[in-house]
Amino acid sequence: MLYVGQRIVQALVSIFGVATIIFFILRLTGDPVLLMVPQNATAEDIAVLRHALGLDQPVGLQYLQFLKQIFTADLGYSYIQNMPVLDIVMERIPYTIDLAIFALILTVIIGVPLGMITAIYKGTWIEKICMPFILVGQSMPAFWTGILLIMLFAVQLKWLPSSGAENLQSLILPAITLASLSIATVARMTRSSMLEQLGQDYVRTARSKGVGIPRMLYRHLLRNASIPIITVIGLECANLLGGSVITETIFAWPGLGQLTIQAIAARDFPLVQAVVVLGAAVYIFINLITDLIYGWIDPRIKLGRETSQ
Amino acid sequence: MKASWRSVQKTAVLVFGLLCIIALAGCSVAKQADSNKPQQQGEASTDSRKLVVDLANEAANLDPGLQYNFDSYAVYRNIFDNLLRRDPATNEITAGVAEAWKQDSPTEWTFTIRDNIKFHNGDPLTAEDAAFSILRILDKEFLSPQYANFNMIASVEAEGNELKITTNEPSPTLLAQLVNLSIVPKKYVEEAGNEQFNLKPIGSGAYLFDSWAKGTNITLKANEEYWDGKPEVAAVEFRFVPDRASRVADLLSGKADFVAGVSPDDVESIQSNSNLQIISTPTERIAFLAFNMVDDTPTKSTAVNQAIAHGINYDSIIESLLQGYGERVTQVLTPLSFGYDPSISGFDYDPEKAKELLKEAGYDNGITVDLPTSPSFDQRVVQAIQGDLDKIGIKVNIVSTDHATFLKKVQDPARKWGSIRYGIWSCGCMDADGTLLPLFRTDTIWSSYSNPEFDQAVDAARTTTDEAARLENYKTALNILQQDVPGIGLYQHFALYGASNKLQWQPDPQENFFVKDIKWVK
Repeated sequence: MLYVGQRIVQALVSIFGVATIIFFILRLTGDPVLLMVPQNATAEDIAVLRHALGLDQPVGLQYLQFLKQIFTADLGYSYIQNMPVLDIVMERIPYTIDLAIFALILTVIIGVPLGMITAIYKGTWIEKICMPFILVGQSMPAFWTGILLIMLFAVQLKWLPSSGAENLQSLILPAITLASLSIATVARMTRSSMLEQLGQDYVRTARSKGVGIPRMLYRHLLRNASIPIITVIGLECANLLGGSVITETIFAWPGLGQLTIQAIAARDFPLVQAVVVLGAAVYIFINLITDLIYGWIDPRIKLGRETSQ
Repeated sequence: MKASWRSVQKTAVLVFGLLCIIALAGCSVAKQADSNKPQQQGEASTDSRKLVVDLANEAANLDPGLQYNFDSYAVYRNIFDNLLRRDPATNEITAGVAEAWKQDSPTEWTFTIRDNIKFHNGDPLTAEDAAFSILRILDKEFLSPQYANFNMIASVEAEGNELKITTNEPSPTLLAQLVNLSIVPKKYVEEAGNEQFNLKPIGSGAYLFDSWAKGTNITLKANEEYWDGKPEVAAVEFRFVPDRASRVADLLSGKADFVAGVSPDDVESIQSNSNLQIISTPTERIAFLAFNMVDDTPTKSTAVNQAIAHGINYDSIIESLLQGYGERVTQVLTPLSFGYDPSISGFDYDPEKAKELLKEAGYDNGITVDLPTSPSFDQRVVQAIQGDLDKIGIKVNIVSTDHATFLKKVQDPARKWGSIRYGIWSCGCMDADGTLLPLFRTDTIWSSYSNPEFDQAVDAARTTTDEAARLENYKTALNILQQDVPGIGLYQHFALYGASNKLQWQPDPQENFFVKDIKWVK
């Protein structure tokens, strides 16, 4: 319990750090007012708007204001969309979750078996067929995979919509695009982890005892190889939930990734701050969960100091 | 035995968790699919189908007082009526919500408001509403980004069916700005509040607001009782597709009927499909180079700027990069602008002369200059300029940042941004006042040039409504620009749209998008 408490405090400190960094970096790089006014605006018009948004105050003062907002869970008001930031973000979250879950399912049900197969059948023709898929998935960037999929399935075959978020079909291409990189990562991690286990003595012992392959895979190999695999899946999960900027942009998928890009382009400070802090929180939270799962899967990993003495 | 029971438990939990996740995802997507179903059925059952339009960005706002970027404009100007209009064929200002207007004195105007216009909630549109629409933009608390477009207005009054506007000084561009003034319903806005009005806007325009799925689309329905005739297109869906290649794919796959923000590079793939067409028109938008003549850089010298002006292969940019979708210009104005002077000669492509000019200016060994830019500008044009100038001995460093950083740098009063900047400009007013003054007058946010005679000419031209006097002043101003060369016109920008060949539409030089003007080919 002490361990979990410590981890939560650490997580809160990290989130606070992220919030501080994003606050200052944003203010160093651009001025939202210049993007809001018409091009024929005068310096006076700009000053009026800047004052109204409170951006003419000293940065230190603005920062205190921002901290106050964080502690009162008031994320502020979007400069551009004239809505509370929280409402805007909440509207986008379900889309990102849908996409992340589908991509994650694809990642796990394709990535893990693919990694296992290439490990068990190392050196055979099966590995030679499977490895190129992993390599292609690893090396194709999302903007390329996405456009190829659109060209094939939307423009040529007309099976699936080319963009948008209207129904279940709209989800398929972005999920595949998003998953292709994760699948390759998970497959590679599974493969190397399995190969390491295959060389262990206990595998030879089990084999000599006559344990069948399925049973050995499940009871022995996978369990022992699972820690790094779960780490990678956890990281991918956090990545996916943070919103995928490129995939969401290509498929016009209205998730957090696209929202982030729009908010940054407009220097919509309150919105960028909210999205970044939220993204960091998700990342940190999933890492926390991953750590806790370790102990559950492998009781040899004890939690915290209480047992380390 | 114990250990294996434990593992069965774990497997069961894992499987259950996975099932929960799948069910959850299935539910939330199914919900979205359901909400979309009625629309699809409606589409199939009516003769006049829904028009699907791909925009590059989501409309930030549907409140006309707040945003007026292209993507917001394209949507909300269909929901609202404007005080005045422009005839798309002649570009003349014509009646809109105001059926007539007169100038009572150099600063006083009276507009007569039509009495047969109703808002979508049934309320009649009155002069009160027109006055309110202006006053809320002028209200500094409201933070309208449009404030700068209307701050020449000193006071507004509604009397019966008449709207009286008084300007601070005689304003020649008042009417041109009122073409962009959308009339909002006073009563509804005050009752609903600004936030609610933005989410469920009510206007008097040819289309009614129907739905807004944030991040995805906005749909509008035809206003059957529109005072100026029932629109032909029954419904329109605006989708937000930020990636250009995806927009073209939407068009090719039949997902969209109309796509904004098409590049000349896409023309070939769109035209090769027999179901599609390219729609294009010259606009009032001008592509230009501006030189920093305030900071101590080589472009402080007129001779260097003349050399640059002679060193750019304009025809090559228009023919090979823009595929002909552009037109040569001689000044930093298009012929569509009031104040354009056909007697200005401009600059020819003459690299030999350019080299001589550089030599005369004392730069025998060539020079190096910075060109700040952002991805908002066509980088191929920027690179072509870099290539052309390299041939005459000017080495151009392209300094690319995102647009917000670019603006901050270029608009900083210190004017330490570099030497050359490429821009593309439209005032939306078809008047030299909206271009020459903000770009080159001393101490405007964009200008890195100062000449009292030029300032005097553009100031004089904006404070009189006497057209002959204004033309004379712009002639003076344009001649000064030709002499001093603080900037040069590169080309007149053409609007470029991709569309299904089942629709018929005439675009206009102000890049308006009125769905009412679109017809389906029978």
